[in-house]
Amino acid sequence: MSDPLHEKLKVLIVETLRLEDIQPADIPDHEPLVGGGLSLDSIDALELVVKLEKEFGLKIASSEESRSALASVAALATYLRAHADPARLPAAA
Amino acid sequence: MSTPAPKPAAPPPRNPGPSWGFRFIRLADRVLPEPVYRPLRAAGTWVSLALLPERRRHSRDYLRVVLGREPRLREIFRHFFEFSETLLLKLRLAEGRPHRAVMAPGCEDFVRFIEEPEDALLGTFHFSHSDLIGFLYGGKRERRVSMVRLRVGNSHDVEQLGRTFGQWISFIWVNEGENLLFALKEAVAAGGCLAMKCDRLEFSSKTEPFRFLGARRLFPFTLYHLAIIFGRPVFLCVGVPGATPGETVVHSTPRWAPDPAASRAANLDSARAHFQGFLDLVERLLRQNPYWWFNYLPLNPEAPAGPAEPAADPKAQIANLKARAAAAPAAR
Repeated sequence: MSDPLHEKLKVLIVETLRLEDIQPADIPDHEPLVGGGLSLDSIDALELVVKLEKEFGLKIASSEESRSALASVAALATYLRAHADPARLPAAA
Repeated sequence: MSTPAPKPAAPPPRNPGPSWGFRFIRLADRVLPEPVYRPLRAAGTWVSLALLPERRRHSRDYLRVVLGREPRLREIFRHFFEFSETLLLKLRLAEGRPHRAVMAPGCEDFVRFIEEPEDALLGTFHFSHSDLIGFLYGGKRERRVSMVRLRVGNSHDVEQLGRTFGQWISFIWVNEGENLLFALKEAVAAGGCLAMKCDRLEFSSKTEPFRFLGARRLFPFTLYHLAIIFGRPVFLCVGVPGATPGETVVHSTPRWAPDPAASRAANLDSARAHFQGFLDLVERLLRQNPYWWFNYLPLNPEAPAGPAEPAADPKAQIANLKARAAAAPAAR
């Protein structure tokens, strides 16, 4: 069964970065977000970080932290569960 | 488990010239009368022309493009000398000598921006008096400006300016650490303006082709992406010498701001038109005085023929993702 946080993150990635012609379901859970199949670069990563901070009420303080958080959708979900405001996370299925 | 020894930090790049160069220039400026000092500066420029063959070659290549013919040695000298005279002016300004900025006609948006503080992203080029603009306005309006710069080992002029105007001006060094984008984010979040050079490709995440000096050349485009991410307006400006020695004339683009209701593609299209307008302005100024171009580096490279293309083809992205997903079914 799919993780609702993974699904939410995929929608957020597609919408934030306006990935036209890419559906959230096209993004694998374990694919690197930056430098992977999505071809995101550091500016895209920054845009995503700004959106994540706003959406989940957290602060990503360094590029090192963002690199580890943006390793994949699954890694991002793990990071958010550890750092984000729990009230803003979708309930587990 | 052993821990790898940390790599020694790479020494920062250096401006050409001896380590005592800036001290000598400042001392000579204080003690020598101008009729003596100016020929001395000219002689120093001939020496640097002789000692910096690579920069001399880049200057020649650039002048050949802008003049449309082979430049004479005297013209390459003038290109170098223009830079050294502006450097001296920067040092004088840093020491508190009076200098004034006047606005070129047609810069109403920038005048309004100066009068009515607004957090904005400011772009400029390595071009004539442009370095002075941030200091002239940052100090005058007591507005915080974060300047994105390349730190070099002997950037005495920048350090001195930072000391003089440190209350409102801070620096973000593009070549220090991996946190550049986060430093930019923090600077924007803290309020004030962010100023960066938009002509050299080094350290630029996003580049795009634009018409400039008879070709489609690549220029950094990161500033506009930051503007869209942070919802900030953009002004691009350059400064050139005015009619009197103590004067800089500022030329600026109209204000550009991302439209939150428009798509990213539409915002980028209007940003491209804005930047092209700025390049047209810069080119007009260079046709007046080709020596104002302070890049003694290869001219911005020509882009491959064809329309401006997006950074990545979305269809190729999908195909790539689907191929990877098919190759790794266990990942879901």
